[in-house]
Order: sequence, then C-alpha cells, then structure tokens
Amino acid sequence: MPNDPTDPTDDLADDLADDLADDDDAADGWPSGAPDASAVADASWPDDDVFLGGEASLAPHASQDHYPSMLDDSTELGAEQREIERRLEGGRTPVYPLDARRPLPLEFVWKRWRTFAMRGRSDVVDDFGRDPIATARWEWVLDFLYSKWFRVEVTGLEHVPDEGRALLVANHAGSLPYDSAMVMHAVRRDHRARRDVRPLVEDAVFHLPWLGPLMNRIGGVRACPENAERLLANDELVAVFPEGVKGMSKLWRDRYRLQRFGRGGFIKLALRSRAPLIPVAVIGAEEALPLLGRITWFARNVGIPYVPVTPTFPWLGPAGLLPLPSKWRIAFGEPIDLAGEYGPDAAEDRLLVGRLAEQVRAQVQGMVDALRKS
Amino acid sequence: MAIGTNGSAARPRRATGRVVAITGACTYLGGELVRQLEEDTRYAKVLLLDVREPPVLAEGITKARFYPIDLTQPTIDGEIATLLAREGVDTVVHGAFLAHPTHATEWAHELEDVGTMHVLNACAAAPPQRFVMLGTTMAYGAYPHNPNYLSETAELHGHRDSRFINDKVRADKQAQRFAREHPGVQVAVLRFAPILGPTISTLHTRFFGRLAAPVMAGHDPLLQFLHEQDAAWALKLAVDGDATGPINIVGKGVLPYTTVLALMGRVALPMPYLIARAGAKALWATQVLSSPPSFLDYLLYVCVADGSKARRELGFTARFSIKRTILDFLGASPEDGATDIASSFA
Repeated sequence: MPNDPTDPTDDLADDLADDLADDDDAADGWPSGAPDASAVADASWPDDDVFLGGEASLAPHASQDHYPSMLDDSTELGAEQREIERRLEGGRTPVYPLDARRPLPLEFVWKRWRTFAMRGRSDVVDDFGRDPIATARWEWVLDFLYSKWFRVEVTGLEHVPDEGRALLVANHAGSLPYDSAMVMHAVRRDHRARRDVRPLVEDAVFHLPWLGPLMNRIGGVRACPENAERLLANDELVAVFPEGVKGMSKLWRDRYRLQRFGRGGFIKLALRSRAPLIPVAVIGAEEALPLLGRITWFARNVGIPYVPVTPTFPWLGPAGLLPLPSKWRIAFGEPIDLAGEYGPDAAEDRLLVGRLAEQVRAQVQGMVDALRKS
Repeated sequence: MAIGTNGSAARPRRATGRVVAITGACTYLGGELVRQLEEDTRYAKVLLLDVREPPVLAEGITKARFYPIDLTQPTIDGEIATLLAREGVDTVVHGAFLAHPTHATEWAHELEDVGTMHVLNACAAAPPQRFVMLGTTMAYGAYPHNPNYLSETAELHGHRDSRFINDKVRADKQAQRFAREHPGVQVAVLRFAPILGPTISTLHTRFFGRLAAPVMAGHDPLLQFLHEQDAAWALKLAVDGDATGPINIVGKGVLPYTTVLALMGRVALPMPYLIARAGAKALWATQVLSSPPSFLDYLLYVCVADGSKARRELGFTARFSIKRTILDFLGASPEDGATDIASSFA
C-alpha cells in the first residue's frame, strides 16, 4: 500500500453506513435513481471517460468528500479502475456493477424485444428440458387430439401409482409418436393424481428437426439407460416403448403384432431401480398413420431410418403427417413387481432378462389382442 | 501416497503451510485462486509460473512470487522440476489453457498439449502431493448419442476436427495416464462447464456477446453454464480437498439454446447446419469469426455434464442458477430485468 497513510477501510465503511442510512436508493446495493450529477462533476474524473461519463452514478460509498486519487491503487476505487482496465484488456466491455449504467435510447427496444422473444417459453426448464409454459401452450392440441380426434377410451388408470416411480411399458405404432403423446396425456388428464409421464423417445424421432425439440419441451426424453435411471431415481413415471423403431416401422399387414422388445434394457432398468412395470396396450395408433411402405434408399442420407408411405403421406406433403381420426383405446394393466421377486443383481443375468422381456411382451400382446376383440 | 510423502519430506520445508505452484496465473481462474490463497492461512507460498507477470500481483499479494516460465519451450520441464523441488511445492495447479480458440493453432497445441506434457514431466521428476488440472466439459463432445447428463466415466470424444477441443482432450488424457502411472500423486482434473460471467473472457462470452447468433434450424439443445465465481470457488475447494480423478464442475440448471438467446435479447438467425458450417468455415478461415466452425456442433446436440461427483467429493454445489448467471453476464440484476443489455454494446 504505497500512498496510503491512513487505513481507508474504516472511512469507507462509515461512509457506506451513512449512505445506507440516508439514501433509500442505496438499499439494494447500487443507486437506481437519478445520479448525483454534482458529485460527479466536482470529482476528478476525466470528462472523456466513456464508461464513467457525466451522468454516471457511482458506488454508494463514493461520495464527494472521500474521492480518492485515481492513481491510488490501495483504495477501492483504484481497484475498480484497474478492474475496468482488466476487462477492457480481455476484450470485454465492462458492465455492471463496475461501470455506471446509462439509459440508452435502445433500452426500450431491447426490453420489448426480450419480452417478444421470451413469449411462449419459460426461463426455467426442468433437468430434462420440459418447459412449463411451452407445455401449457401445447396442452390444447393434445387435448383436442385426445378427446375430439382420437376419442380415447382409457381403462385401468387405477393401476398407475399416485406417487413413486414406475415404468409404463407400451406397444408402439405409427410413424410419428402420437401414442407416446396420448399415453402421457391420458395420465395427466384422467389419472386422479394428474401425474406427468416422461415418455422415452427413440433417437430417430428425438433428433428430427423441430419435432424433436418440441417433444423435449413438452416432456419427452431421449431414450437411453442413463436418462431413464435418472428419471426413475427422481421417482417419476417413465413410459418406454421397447419395440423402438422396429415397432414404428412395421407395415400395415403386421399391425398389432408386437416386435422384439429390444434387448431387454427396460427389464434391467426396472430391476436396478426397483420400479414396478405397468404394461400398457394402445389400440388405434396403427390406423391413425397406416404404414403402407417404407422408402429407405435416401432416408439414410438425411438422417432418418425411413420415409413413411401412408395413404396421405407424402402425397399431401407435410399435411399428410396429420393422423387419421381413428378410434383409440388405451388399457393400463396390473403392475408387475419384479423387485419383489429378484434382487438388483438379477439385471446381470442375461438369460433371465431375456426371458422376462419376452414374458412382458407376451403380456402386452395379450392385452392388445383382448382389447381389439372387445 | 508413498511417493508424495517421501518426496516432500526429503525437501527443505522453509515455510509452514502448503506451497502451491500455479501455471496460467494470468487467467481469470488463476488470478482468483491466488486471491483466495492469499487469504487462507493454510497456504504459505504461491509460485506463479507464466510467461508474463500476472496482473493479480499488482494487488499487494504477499505470498505469491512470479517465475517467468514459457511452457512451449523444449527443456522447460527440467526447469520446472528444479523449481518444484527447490521450493518444496506440494500442490501443482495446471491452468495454462486457452479460454477461447486462437487462429495460431500450432502455438495453442504447443501450449496446451505439449505444455501439459512438460508440467507432468516435471511433476514426475519432483512429485507433488496433489496435482489439479483445469479441463472443460466440451471435451466430451456434442453427439446425438450423448445422455442428457454425462458422468465423469463417459468417454472424451472431443470433436473430429477441432484442435481447440482436441488439445484439451489430449491434456485430460495425459493427466489420467499420469494418475495411473503415479499412484502417489493425487490427480484431479476439473472439467468446467462453459463459464460465463461479467469479467471472464471465454469462447462463450465472446459468442454470446454478439448481437445475433446462428441457430441450427430445427435443433435446440439444452445448454449449461457455470458462473465465474462458482468456478473460482470450485477450484479453491479442489485445491483444498483430496478428491481425485476427473470431476465435472457444472452450474445449476439447464436451458434450451433458443431460450438462452431470448433471455439475452439476442437475435436468433435460423439456418441449416450445412450452410452455417460452410459459412463459419469461410469466416473462420478469413479470421473474421473468433469462434471456430466446430462450435456449431454444440448448438446441434446436447453436451451437459452431471455434477453429482463434485457435490459428493468436493462439497461443491453451484450458487448461481443458469438464469442468474446469464443476467450477471449481461450486467443485469434480476430486479431490473435485462433492460440494460444495450449497455454492453455501448
């Protein structure tokens, strides 16, 4: 501390206390009202200083009497000056709280622009990217599809627990994941606890332009073991479609014939996280977007597994991806409590996992067949 | 532990307390660490190894001493080893990394990759008890197969043609190999999420400092930011503590990229990835842009790390939420919204 005969900290502290006592503006740390122009004008600031100009307001303790020399490194203002220089050196424009803020003509424009840009989105999303405002904004679309378009009938919702983790295992159909959306919406709309279901979405859909981010905003999560484990550890309801892309890409002639249930990843997940499995059968998704054929030869180049051919797509363009108004039924089955029978180590037993996966697949197939006959 | 204890016991201990050597003390995190060590009585001496005198020294730091060391010099490892042995250094903090890419990629490679090798060679010759290195979560790379939260066990994929990222990946891997070969040294690699803040200058502060930013049409990954003060605090905790291995240091919460832009009041320019990439390549090659084309991949797919290990082993939980971090970066307080965004363009 070269040029400092007295200890400045006491003075500054007293000064700060005075300021806080008689200046309301200083209560939140920095003056927000009109700057004290006379104090600044009398002080020894250079007039051409861009960042501390005439209308600048300064830190609350920097009153007229105690203005230190700018060259005095030992005081707080000297430190601020150096800090500003440091920021300038770093290529960054110095900003609050170091430089004084001046209202700019553009401020109004910025304010309106930010409000405009933030419309329909929330500034807080959950761990997996669900945006509450975006979810609310799309709610009516799901509700329209659910109650008016597909006229969904739901049975067995009482099997879905009011709280705690559970894994919903459903059959998959249709080129677009309308079935995940409907399962999600059924529980949110008609279940007594109005729980949120997090459907796991396969990569082929999750990385589709526009659709993937939209699904992510309203609750979809990319299907991978790490994500599912994290969701279940948070005691959430997770919906899995173990058929994956194979289920989505089955043709009209194979409708409601469940494909292989992946490699049994969902069984391992249930065993490790001790979550009950709830089989779910969805009827109607096959008819909503009946898949007549698949074009694969150029689909790979644009990063999707196949281009669907339906009665309406691609003939009607993007409008062809809208679903036909088929009648839907969703049935939730009795929970299967694997944790009661097997320990967490059972997840390493590949033969057991394969057998259990096949059992669950047979059960969902049985539910689907029963629902189609009824 | 055996090597470290024997090594330091054999050395003269003139000071009572820990002796820390810091490379890259001119950086923001290096400077903040020096300030914190100055106030901590457990630390007796701080050695600042850098090419130029760190600005933090001008603040009346008494514990620190500056040693001019250029990590890109061929035989510098011997000099560092002599210095470490002579001063009885028990903690080495290696932070001489670039926060934003440079067009001088050859020099950057010499500094980051080869410089890390030199520091590790010196540490092998005069083993400290603790070695802390600064990394980045960008080393995991942004890929479609990434889970939403990458743990420390995830592989470092880097980026197929970004030297900026790949130099950091190689430095990270060198430190991990050093940890395997020298079990007596506690090696911790802190992988920091992208740091934002009012004072620091990084790739991200530059990118988000511009009025407009490209958006890859149809893609909107989640982003994660760490406040500069949280980063400095985590670094101090890591130097104090005894956690080893790679540790993700991340901020609180995530936000979609377009929401980040909206919150900052930036103009989003949607464009197809291939066009954006071609444009970014041309602008990077002509040195108009300061963010390399590879950065666009991080706007395409998610690259977010899981900070639970830091919470368990360092006791670090970010104090700033992502929204607060962004407002702080803008120079706005939550009370007045971000109405003075314009002042950062004054």
